[in-house]
Amino acid sequence: MTIPPIAAELEQELARLSPVTTRRPVRQALLAGAVSLVYAAIVLAVIAVRRELADLPRLWLVLYLGAWLAGFAVPVWFALVPRPGGMLPRWRLAGAIAAVSAVGFVVAGLLVPRSAAASLHLGLDYAHQCLSLGLVTAIVPVVLGTLLLRGAAPVGSRVTAAALGAAGGSLGGFVLHLHCPIADGIHVGLVHGAVVAVAALLAAALVPRALRP
Amino acid sequence: MTDARTLMTKYCDGDPASFRELYALLAPRLLGYLMRMTRDRTTAEDLLQQTFAKVHRARGAYVRGADPAPWIFAIAHRTFLDDRRRARRGAMLTDHGDLPEVAAALSGEPADVAAARAEIDIAATRAALAALDSLPAPQREAVFLTKLDGRSVAEAAEIAGTTPGAMKVRAHRGYVALRRLLGGAP
Repeated sequence: MTIPPIAAELEQELARLSPVTTRRPVRQALLAGAVSLVYAAIVLAVIAVRRELADLPRLWLVLYLGAWLAGFAVPVWFALVPRPGGMLPRWRLAGAIAAVSAVGFVVAGLLVPRSAAASLHLGLDYAHQCLSLGLVTAIVPVVLGTLLLRGAAPVGSRVTAAALGAAGGSLGGFVLHLHCPIADGIHVGLVHGAVVAVAALLAAALVPRALRP
Repeated sequence: MTDARTLMTKYCDGDPASFRELYALLAPRLLGYLMRMTRDRTTAEDLLQQTFAKVHRARGAYVRGADPAPWIFAIAHRTFLDDRRRARRGAMLTDHGDLPEVAAALSGEPADVAAARAEIDIAATRAALAALDSLPAPQREAVFLTKLDGRSVAEAAEIAGTTPGAMKVRAHRGYVALRRLLGGAP
């Protein structure tokens, strides 16, 4: 089969080819995780930790916070770190985990709410503030993940973007869990849990183009 | 010949000769893939150039030690999909509410497509390739990647952005349809 010559524009670019820094997935995943956590800590320092945090059931609190962190770290890992020998994101796995976490946090919030004496019971009041705060927290992981993955996902880019969004939303949920004293199941489930789904949908709508070569 | 991993690494390190070698190594398979997908050599050549231009722009996304071929094939796949989407948009109604007129050959297909096919598709005179051309795009792609390009189902699924299960189903349906078209038992 006769192969056409390399296009003239590309030949021109090859004439001034310079070395590029290639992707280092594990390092990138660790960087994304660390920077996002530092950012979440700064957000939390600005908005303050809930006053009745120490009175909440310890095991429940640790498990819940661990779940939020896993909901952040696992999709980021699978989105950024390809299988050994490959370079495409493991978007199906990341997307499946993101979908499970989006549903799981809503269900968990509704089914296993816990409160302390000083907790507030205001239902869906302040839903807008919590949602906004969660989404603001999600911005850094999503933007960072997008920058690190740009050009790496010619296929599955929308699902990869949704996974990054869900990961950011989980970090938002983590911050909300440490900040918001409203302990009703309907608030924790439908508002804090919804941050994951909303962040995933927004990322799926806005990010894919940046991930494609 | 040096393998794709080494060439891609040297190319990312700023060696243009390695890009040319990588092009020589992968372009024939990519062109074959794109010709099967587009059924038109001119379009396939254009998409091939677009694919390598995208590879060049996104070369920083390369992971050292990884096989770049699935990534480059996935870029070709995406480039084909984008082109098909653009073509569909182009086929929409004109300002006057009419479908745009397209000159047709005696066979009924657009004249430019027919002319290009008559001119270039010598290989398609072989019955199997002609039958392959008549398959729907997803099945055609599945048969090409798994049978003609020798990729595993998992690799083909990765390139096409689908699941291995779906790729198996597409390939199976493609084989069944090919067998029927070529006069074999279903």
